Amino acid sequence: MANRRVLVKRRKSVRNIKKITRTMQLIATARFQAAYNRAVATKPYAEKLAELVADLSRAASSVEHPLLKTHDEVPRSALVVLTASRGLAGGYNANVLRSAISHLAEQEKRSIDTRVTMVGKKGISFFRFLRRPMAEQRTDIGEAPRFEQIEPLANDLMERFTRGEIASAHVAYMRFLSAGQQRPVVVQLLPLGEREGSAPAGEQAAPPKAIEYEFSPGPQELLDELLPAVVRVRLFQAFTDAAVSEQVARMIAMKAATDAAGDMIKDLSREYNRARQTQITMELLDIVGGANALS
Amino acid sequence: MENGSYGTVTQVIGSTLDAQFPEDRLPLIYNALKIEVERTVLGETEKETLWCEVAQHLGGGRVRAVALGSTDGVTRGAQALDTGSAITVPVGIGTLGRVFNLVGETIDGLGPVEADTRRPIHHEPPEFDDLSSKTELFETGIKVIDLLCPLVRGGKAGLFGGAGVGKTVIIQELIARLARFHSGYSCFAGVGERTREGNDLWLEMQEARIGDTGKRVIDQTVMVFGQMNEPPGARLRVALSALTMAEYFRDQTGVDTLLFIDNIFRFSQAGSEVSALLGRMPSAVGYQPTLGTEMGELQERITSTKNGAVTSIQAIYVPADDYTDPAPATAFTHLDSTVNLERSISEKGIYPAVDPLASSSRIVSPEFLGERHYKVARRVQQILQRYKDLQDIIAILGVDELSEEDKVIVRRARKIERFLSQAFYVAEQFTGFPGNYTSRDDTIRSFEELCDGKWDQLPDQAFMYVGAIEEAAAKAEKLG
Repeated sequence: MANRRVLVKRRKSVRNIKKITRTMQLIATARFQAAYNRAVATKPYAEKLAELVADLSRAASSVEHPLLKTHDEVPRSALVVLTASRGLAGGYNANVLRSAISHLAEQEKRSIDTRVTMVGKKGISFFRFLRRPMAEQRTDIGEAPRFEQIEPLANDLMERFTRGEIASAHVAYMRFLSAGQQRPVVVQLLPLGEREGSAPAGEQAAPPKAIEYEFSPGPQELLDELLPAVVRVRLFQAFTDAAVSEQVARMIAMKAATDAAGDMIKDLSREYNRARQTQITMELLDIVGGANALS
Repeated sequence: MENGSYGTVTQVIGSTLDAQFPEDRLPLIYNALKIEVERTVLGETEKETLWCEVAQHLGGGRVRAVALGSTDGVTRGAQALDTGSAITVPVGIGTLGRVFNLVGETIDGLGPVEADTRRPIHHEPPEFDDLSSKTELFETGIKVIDLLCPLVRGGKAGLFGGAGVGKTVIIQELIARLARFHSGYSCFAGVGERTREGNDLWLEMQEARIGDTGKRVIDQTVMVFGQMNEPPGARLRVALSALTMAEYFRDQTGVDTLLFIDNIFRFSQAGSEVSALLGRMPSAVGYQPTLGTEMGELQERITSTKNGAVTSIQAIYVPADDYTDPAPATAFTHLDSTVNLERSISEKGIYPAVDPLASSSRIVSPEFLGERHYKVARRVQQILQRYKDLQDIIAILGVDELSEEDKVIVRRARKIERFLSQAFYVAEQFTGFPGNYTSRDDTIRSFEELCDGKWDQLPDQAFMYVGAIEEAAAKAEKLG
């Protein structure tokens, strides 16, 4: 028999929240399509590139490249964390950040100092809350990442790596597997492993084709050009993946929120109606009782 | 004592009856009338004395009285004797260890009581300038009560709660905790509650010993019962009978006295049952129009004077969990400390189901409790209040949408919520946990550390039914 006015007020505010979540759901659905197309569009290029690199490395028996070298003696590494700049995406940010934190903890255990590049407002505020240092904070890369934005980031990492400043570079993001499945991952970007270098991790390397290429210039020179491209494309792929995953996560979270708000409105309405009826009954009883007592 | 005036019963309406007296010898309001009733059951005739209390003068020598027992077998024309005074009950040391009904007759089957003093159950509350102004905390060892709604020594505490949230369990627990370590006397009034509970309590008190003196708790206790089976008149007056006995201890011996009443709501309810029969027009929600007055007359007498202190603990039933119901609402204002029991908390399996936000005490202020206790209590409430405010958001959007600060608050609030539970001595056989007494210092320190986030790493489950915070840590280890 809660206060009726309080119930009305609460129901109104839940209704407003529902309006917002419903709108967010619709927007996310629309954006998802665009982001999905972008993510898929880079795939053929990435695959072809991987194929080419695989062919090349087969042709060149022993490949020597600075990006393939490991320097374990350097106690420093780099981590790029991709989070969203906006909330209302359910566990999206929390999940990415959780895997990033556990990666950092692991690195710390091996006493490796990690230089964090944080992308997205949510990650920045989370790290600020934890008082963890961030070497770089980026909020300029939006929901539609462009290659020109990612390229300098990849170049910077590669430069640091070849200079021997860092022993490895990782990127933490939400991998988009399908519309129903995304998984937070921490992927090693540098050094490029032999196998890893040939195909983006997690995806099957293209079936080897028994086509013999003739190279000009030689495979070594070509690899010099192609390996950095692989790193760039893989980082870019991570960004586009993160963008799709964010929209999917938001879509699902907002759908759940809209449903929950609907349920709550239903419950509140029921409670309100009951309170109203109770009050009417009580007043009637009082009136009838009073009238009877008078007569 | 008896002025010998006889009247004749002219009308019996349920638990009230009218009697005709000579106009010049009318019994006074509140005077006790005595009617000898003969009733024949299955051929056997039993004789019984029915006590009544004059409630109204109807004019023309007629009085209307409330029967304090069953009116079965009363006939028109029966003789009603005016005793010339109100109902009296035996008082004094002789009453200790005994069980009475409201008219002061023993009902424990141990023979008549050895007490030469009797007192009328109606009289004025103590004078204003006799009242004691001391304010001192009364430690119970129950964390949530000591921290958020501490009892006052010589004050009044109310346990509010709907049906089946654990009022009676808490009052029995308090009896077990306080009466056992209490050097003075205790009075227990069973008002309109289950007879079985009264019987259980009586048996328990016979077994329980005070501290380690080996003395039985019952030998320091008086019990007065007017339970559910009694007519409304009895339930209406039984609290006064117990109170009168407690008052005597306070006034004459000066010893600290505890008065437990279970359940004050039944007193109001009984009043409403007879009210209509007395011809009063019902007021809000069908209660008697004199609800506030009746409650005031009773509550004003339960008080500490310069002579001695009466600490009273009352259970108050809240019909349909509605705290705005007039009966619990009128009781509210008389209390120093209110402990609200909340169904939603008992549904979570957290006992005692004390609502940490609605319960409060007059003495929650730095002046009485000290700066530290006050601050910790307020911090605990702030965290829980914030958690409550966030509840809707969590229900709609999920915990992940909260800011990092709020997530920490929510996590801590969940721990605090569970940490407010505690194992009871009287519930050992139900919970399987041995009863736990947590000193006030431990309570304050534990909650302070919990608010500071020192124990964030423990799982929530570890905070259930433990005493001080170290026990939670030990339990966490056991849980693995």
